[in-house]
Order: sequence, then C-alpha cells, then structure tokens
Amino acid sequence: MRKKLRGASLVMPDRMYLFVVPALLLFLVFWVYPVLQMFFYSVTNFNGIDYNYDFVGIKNFRRILEDGSLVNATKNTLIYTVVNVLCTNVLGLVLALLLNLSIKAKGLFRTICYIPALFSAIVVGFIWSYVYMPGSGMISSVMDTIGLDGSSFNLIGNFKWALYGIIIVDIWKNVGTTMIIYLAGLQTIDESLVEAGKIDGASEWELIRKIKLPLISATITINVVLSIIGGLKAFDYAFIMTNGGPGKSTQTLMFVIFQTAFNNQMMGKASAYSVVSFVLIIAITIGMLIFMNKREVEL
Amino acid sequence: MKNGKLKAGTIAAYLFLIIYSVVSISPLVIVLSSSFRKPENMTSPLKLFIEFSMESYRTAFTKMGFMTEFANSLITTAGSVIVIVLIATMASYPIARIKRKSSRFLYYFFIAGLVIPAQMVIVPVAQVFGRLNIPNSRFTPMIMFITCSLPFSTFLFTGFMKGVPVEIEEVAYMEGASLWTRYFKVVFPLLKPATVSCVITQGLWIWNDYFFPMVFVSKRAHYSLPVGMIQFLGDKENPAQWNVLFASCVLCALPLIVVFMLLQKQFVNGIAAGAVKG
Amino acid sequence: MKKKMISLLLACSMLGTLITGCGSAEPATSDGGAATQQTTETAKADTPDNASSDEQITLTMMFSGVATEGDFETEVLPKLVKEKFPNIDLEVTKLPDDQYYTALKTKLASGECPDIILVQPKYAGSNSVIELAKAGYLLDVSDLEFLDKAGDAAKEAFSYDGKVYGVAQGVSILGTYYNKKMFEDNNLTVPKTWDEFLNCCEVLKNAGIQPIVMGDKDAYVMQFGLYQIAANEIYPQNGNYDDQLRTGETHFTDEGTWDKVLSMYGELYEKGYVIDSSLGLGAAQSIQMFVDGEAAMTFDGSFNASALCAAGAVDFERGYFPLPAVNGDTYASMAPGGGPAVYSGTKHPDEVKAILNYWFDGESPVYQAFASTGNVLITYGYGADQNDPMYDEFMSLYNQGKAWYWCNQAWPAGTENEMEALFGSMIGGQGTTVPDITNGMQNKLEELLDQ
Repeated sequence: MRKKLRGASLVMPDRMYLFVVPALLLFLVFWVYPVLQMFFYSVTNFNGIDYNYDFVGIKNFRRILEDGSLVNATKNTLIYTVVNVLCTNVLGLVLALLLNLSIKAKGLFRTICYIPALFSAIVVGFIWSYVYMPGSGMISSVMDTIGLDGSSFNLIGNFKWALYGIIIVDIWKNVGTTMIIYLAGLQTIDESLVEAGKIDGASEWELIRKIKLPLISATITINVVLSIIGGLKAFDYAFIMTNGGPGKSTQTLMFVIFQTAFNNQMMGKASAYSVVSFVLIIAITIGMLIFMNKREVEL
Repeated sequence: MKNGKLKAGTIAAYLFLIIYSVVSISPLVIVLSSSFRKPENMTSPLKLFIEFSMESYRTAFTKMGFMTEFANSLITTAGSVIVIVLIATMASYPIARIKRKSSRFLYYFFIAGLVIPAQMVIVPVAQVFGRLNIPNSRFTPMIMFITCSLPFSTFLFTGFMKGVPVEIEEVAYMEGASLWTRYFKVVFPLLKPATVSCVITQGLWIWNDYFFPMVFVSKRAHYSLPVGMIQFLGDKENPAQWNVLFASCVLCALPLIVVFMLLQKQFVNGIAAGAVKG
Repeated sequence: MKKKMISLLLACSMLGTLITGCGSAEPATSDGGAATQQTTETAKADTPDNASSDEQITLTMMFSGVATEGDFETEVLPKLVKEKFPNIDLEVTKLPDDQYYTALKTKLASGECPDIILVQPKYAGSNSVIELAKAGYLLDVSDLEFLDKAGDAAKEAFSYDGKVYGVAQGVSILGTYYNKKMFEDNNLTVPKTWDEFLNCCEVLKNAGIQPIVMGDKDAYVMQFGLYQIAANEIYPQNGNYDDQLRTGETHFTDEGTWDKVLSMYGELYEKGYVIDSSLGLGAAQSIQMFVDGEAAMTFDGSFNASALCAAGAVDFERGYFPLPAVNGDTYASMAPGGGPAVYSGTKHPDEVKAILNYWFDGESPVYQAFASTGNVLITYGYGADQNDPMYDEFMSLYNQGKAWYWCNQAWPAGTENEMEALFGSMIGGQGTTVPDITNGMQNKLEELLDQ
C-alpha cells in the first residue's frame, strides 16, 4: 500500500515535472543550445563575425593537434589543476585541522583566511599584479628591505615560473572557502570516536589518518571535485595578469579558446578546442567521482 | 612528558596559523594602507599607514561612478538570486521526489552544465540573444547568471530535498493540499539552510563576476562594480595611479566585506552547508 | 498515454506564450530604464518627447584604451556633442584592448552593437575595417563631407570594395622616445644609422644607464620596435611584400626579410640594451619607468605621447626619432590611425553621420579638442601646422614618401600574436631561434589565409 502510494504517482504525480519547466527552458535555450551550436562550429571555418562560413570537416581538430597548441594548453591546464588541487586541499585541510583544535582567536584566523574569497577576480588580479611587479612591486620591495636583490625578482616574466605565479593567486583566493568546508566536515565528527581513539593510545597523526580523514571523506570528495573543476576552467588570472605570456607559458585551455575566438578570429578552431576541453573535463570529473566514491566505500 | 609534547604542538599550530595569516593578509593590508594616501604620495607602499587622507577614495568614488555601479550590482545580484532560488527549488522538487530514470537523467543533465565554462559558449549565447531580440541592459547578464547558476543550485537543492521526509507531504496530500501549496507551504520553508547557502555562494559569485556584464552591458549607466574596475585595468601597473586604484579595489569589495562581517555565521554555515550536504 | 501527450503539449504551448510574454516585456522594461536614466542624466534637457522629430536620443560609442583624466572620448566629446546637438546624448565607453575585442564581437553577434565603434585600418586587429565591412557590420560612410580633406591615404586605409567604412584619426607614428638629458650628459646625438644606434646603446649601458625599457608582458609592444625595423629593412626593398605574402610569392621565411628584422631586434635584448625584466613589465609600467628617468629610450607610438610626456620623478626633455634600422636612409613607420566607424544596424544613421561630420570638419570645437590631445598628427584644418615639433622629422619623411604602414595592417589578424609569443620565447631564453619564429609566422599566416 505504502509503496503504491509513493510509486504510483498519487502523492508524487508526473504533473510535478511541470515544476522543472522554467529551469529547463532557460537551461536549454541559453546553455544547451549554445553548446550544441559550438559543437557544430567546430567543423566549420566560422570566424565569429561573417556568417558565410563553410564546412571544413575535422580540419580544425587536425590543426590544433599539429601545431602543438593543444598539447601546450592541455599541459598547462593539467599542471594548473594538479597543483591547485593539491595545494588548496592540503593547505585548507591543515588550516581546518588546526582551527578545529581548542585555540584562541579562532574566529580571527578564520576571517583572515577567508577574506580573499570575497574579492572579485578583477580586483585580485590588480592586487597581485602589484605584488609580483618587478622592481617596485611588493615582493621586490620586501626583498630589497631585507637585503636581497629585489630587482632580480621577476616571477611573472619567467617562462618556468609564471604559471605557478598565477596558480598561487588562485590558491590564495580559494584556500579560505576550502578551509571552511573542511572545518564544517570536521565538526560533524562525533567527539566520542576521537576520545575512544585517544584512550586506545593513538597519536595525533594516527587520529587524523585513521579516524578524522575517513569520517570526512565525503567532504574531501566535494572539495577535490570543486577544485578540479576550478582548475580545469582556469582563465581569470591568465587573462587578467599575464595574457597567456610570457610566450605561451601561461596559456590554459580556456585562455586559448578565448584568444583563438576573439583575437585570431577563428571561431571554428576555438570551438574545436572547446569540444576537446569539454570531453576532457567531463572525463576527468567522472573519473574522479568514480575513484573517490570507491575510496569512500573502502574507507 | 605528554603535556610538554602537546604544548609544543600547540605552539607550532599557532606559529603556522600566524605565519600563514600574515602572508595571506599582507597584500590586502598594503592595499588598505595605500588607499588612505593622497594620490600623489608615492613613497614605498611598505611603509604602512603613514597618512590618512580620503582623497584617493574621493577620486576613485567619482571616477568609478560608485553609487550607480553599486546600485546596478545590487539590482543584478539580488534579482538573479531571487529568481535562482525560486526556479532552482522548483526544478529540484520533482527531481528529488520522483524516483525514476527520467528524474535521474534530469539531475545529471543539469549537473553536466557545471563543467562548461562561459568563455566556451559566449558567442553562440550572444547569437541566441540576438535571435530573441533581447537588448543589452542591466538585466541581460542576469539571464546568464540565472542559467549558469542552475547546475549548482539544482544540485544543492536536490540534495537537501532528499533529506526532507516524504511523510510530511503525505500528510499534506491527505489534507487535500495542491501540488503548488505543498511545494510552497510545506517543502520550501524546510529548505532554509540550503536557501541561505545558495544565496551566499551564488550571490558572492554574481557580485564579483565581470565576464557577463562586460559582454552584455553597453551603457555606462548599467555597469556593475567589477566592470567599472575593468576600465582601470590598463592603469594597473602605473605606480602613479596606485593609491587611487587601491582605493577603488577597496570600494569594490567593501559591500561584501561589510555583509560578511555582519553575517559571518550565516556565511560560514552557508558555504559549508552547500558543500557538505549537497 | 495520448492524453498525457496532449496535456504536455498544452502545457508547452502555454509556457510558450508565457515566454514570449516575457520576451516582449523585456525591452519595455529596459526602455523604461533608459528613459528614466536619460532624464536623470540630462536634468537640464527638455523632457523627452517621443512624438516630435527632435526626439531625445541616446547614441552609444565604444572605443578601446584607458580613460584618463579629462579624456577626450569619454568626457570632452560627449559634452561638446551635447552642446551642438542638444537632443543627442552620446555615451562613450572605453575598454582595454582585449576586453574591447570581446565586447565588440559578442555585441555584434547579439545585434546590440554601439552606434559608433573603433575600427583599425585594413586588416589590422580583430576590429579591422575590412573584416567587419565584409561581414556587413559597417555602414558605408563614403558620403561624409570631410573625407576629401583627410586625403587619399586615409580613405584608402578604410576602404573595402571601393567604399569608405571608417574615419582615420589623423596619422599615428611608431618611433623611439628618448631622454634628451641623458643623451646630452653622455655626449650623444640622435643616431642616423643602425650602427650609431647600437653605439648609443653601448655608451649608455657603459655609463650605467638602462638604454631601453619595454613592457613586454603586454606582448603587443614588441610590434613598436619590430615594425620600425621592418619599415627600413623590408618594404623599401619590396613595397609589395605583404600583398605577395597573400599570393604566396613571398614568405616570412624569405632570406633577408623577417629573419633580418627579428635578429636585429633580438640583438637589442641579447646585448642587454633592453631591460632584462621586460617580460615581467606591463606597458604602463614601462612608460612610467621612462618618465621617471630609469631608462634612456623606449619604443612607442605617438598615440601614447601624453602618457610619455607626463611629469615623472625627474624632469627632462623628451625627444622622438624614427629608429634608423639600416645603415642608409631611414624610413618611418607611420599609418593612418584607427578611428570611428558606424554600425550598420544603427537606428540613427543620420545623427551619427552628423556627429562625425562635426567632429572631423577641421574647425569645430570638437575637432580642436581632438587636435589638442596631441596623440595623433593632424593633417588638415585646425592644428595641422601646430603639431608638436617632436614630430617634425617624421612629418618630413612622410611628405617625402619615406614612410611605411604598420605591418599588421596588411596581415590577417592573429599573425602578430604568433610573432609576439615566439619572439617572447626567444628573448626569454626558451631556445627558440629566428627560423622558428619566421616558420611559425608563415604557418600561422597560411592557416589564417586558408579560412
């Protein structure tokens, strides 16, 4: 009887689906349709302004593979993602674990860590352009004050380090949010479990590894997935701070898509990048979710 | 012995927290300190708080057209968030309640939108606007904010709604309540934590986003705060402009900082609730 | 089942009307918004009267660049236009270059383009007049009255298919700004040949002065030096070099063309004449360093003259010379500057043209204010004889026909990005060689032409 009540659409009739319609319409018209359109453009030579374009088959895809730009951008994006995920989560988790101890001025520390998250990427880009500026920027000036050669500091102009320079900015902005989510996860842990572990003589490290981490595995999953998506979508600081440079060293996938479409007027080629990125992002996200879910069960 | 070890650990914890906090906050402190200088004061910004003048703020305030931009940001953010909460909760209702493949499909269909960045589809989106004759105004970016927010918001509300016991609705059903009444009077009020979370995370993002307003707003009078900031972008490395720029940075973030300080608890719980429950 | 389908269809069609309802309501709200904003903004003006012919209208204009204090486009122009045409409110937006391209393209795609936009001559950049005109986005403005005064070069640069689609804002120069005081202190005179130029750099460097500062973090500034060299090394030998690139008769990889240009410019970095940290410096910061007397020279355009001549930490006189990138006669790199064009979808073509006619008539207050910005060389009307003496040497070269356009005006947009990225890799010590750059440029060119 009960089963019937639920399943047989008396309480929950199919009419309920009408509730989805406004959201679905918006989503279809302004998101799904443009995405499909983009898939279509990837096999044309559309330049973004002139609608007399031709069908060119897989030429755009062959091109981005052959000229090495896809490999470069994918490599940069993956480095960005891995470093971002590791640093944001490790730092966020450590801060959360420390703030979960009984320490003073907890609220103050929490606020300080979180404040960068309130700033717009535009403003953050401004501020860090100053921080990194060679010669008279913050880091250079600090180096000068403590007797180092500040003029030698040129992170953003350096091919090897510019990418890490912008990753640091992203980490700085996001650690606070990650930390707050971990903190909330930690606060759901039943104190008695930790106490029991202490009585059994577990060290602080063992408590963390054997009890706390497994208990917040769902939180870890969500944080990792969020920062993976954030990393794969990396665009803001390459756009605002380095413009993909020096050379092509900070060109991420999203940046290349943007530049190809808007500076080089090759909407078709940009769409080909988009399709590849789309597949890549979906594959990585799903892979990650499956992996994490499995781990959660094992733990 | 054990006590000593614990103490060392606590000291290390404080040390780590203090070092991290100082490093993390120092750029912002310099920004704040420099913003209180007169525009022409170009001594090293590392000398903190050597002058207190509102002149840079005054310049930034007028140059940005702060009040207009602030009003636009407020309208855009508030308007978008209200609509998002409304249609995302509505969408989540059947997705959470109907236990069939069709609803699961809808769920993943929406979530898949989470992974698509706006840069990728902006030109086709603009074409849709053109075809539908939607003019550029301060309301145009809102359409995109609402659309782009749907994946996350639906995900969040569906997660929450699954935790709302079905029995409550069964009672309402027995009492003859219509679907709409049940949704609005019974289910919606129970979603308050998720709603707070949605308002905070999405509001934060919309307030700070520069991409859609930059692309879909034509008139200066319709600019939001971050788009107003873009106008300064070219000036960003010009030391002669720093103090004014820093003042405008502070002005741009100030409304959110004030809200955060006032509603700190809701903020912290809201951000966490979104992630932990969803 | 069937019943379900019908009810679903019904629901859909109902929603359909709902949506169209929303759709038609949207413009109304935004129009209302615009109207209120108009009245509040122009408190002095009469209340808008929709029926009459001199109805209050708002025209929009979008330019690239950074609005400065008392900016001509964003502040002076709207005010003067309002004085002449009380019924027209001109709203001007200035966006930094990249944001400008993005905004322009999406606004074109959505059919919501500002009435007046900035376009570049020939093929230059993402807002090149030829590409935009070809796609039908620009209004034919061949009938503007002042065009004949502006001269054939200016008309030619903004023509497509025999019609004029844009207005040149005077002539812009790429040259070398130098600190006269530093030159005098080191007994240097303006170099006339490449060897003399290298010698200048060497002397300055030995005196402990940074000879050249460039803001290569904004990679477009690399063009400022490279095009000056190309104007001396490539076009005097073959004036059709760029046209022939399109037909395949010439290639970037041809010996003695771009390989030479790139290695000459690269030499300046290799020898440390250009500041080491250039890749980390932004364009504005490099200008500031020049103004503060931290370097003796910088390659930049006349369009940045006011920033480069602004007061800095030290006082000194500025000079400007064409880079003598050859041991022979020097050629200048000068071109009609980018300028306003009219969006073909504008609702007020006559009013927009009236504004342009007024702006460029050679004598109106707008023209005078425009001429006084000092950022372009005026070729006719008010101020044509009063260009900054700094530009005299360029003007005389121009009049002798010893001036060449900027290379990217003849290239498909995007070629220069590849050049900049690869040149950046070379000076950043990434093992990129000159042949790598010319090959990359050639490949990019072929790819872009293939579109």
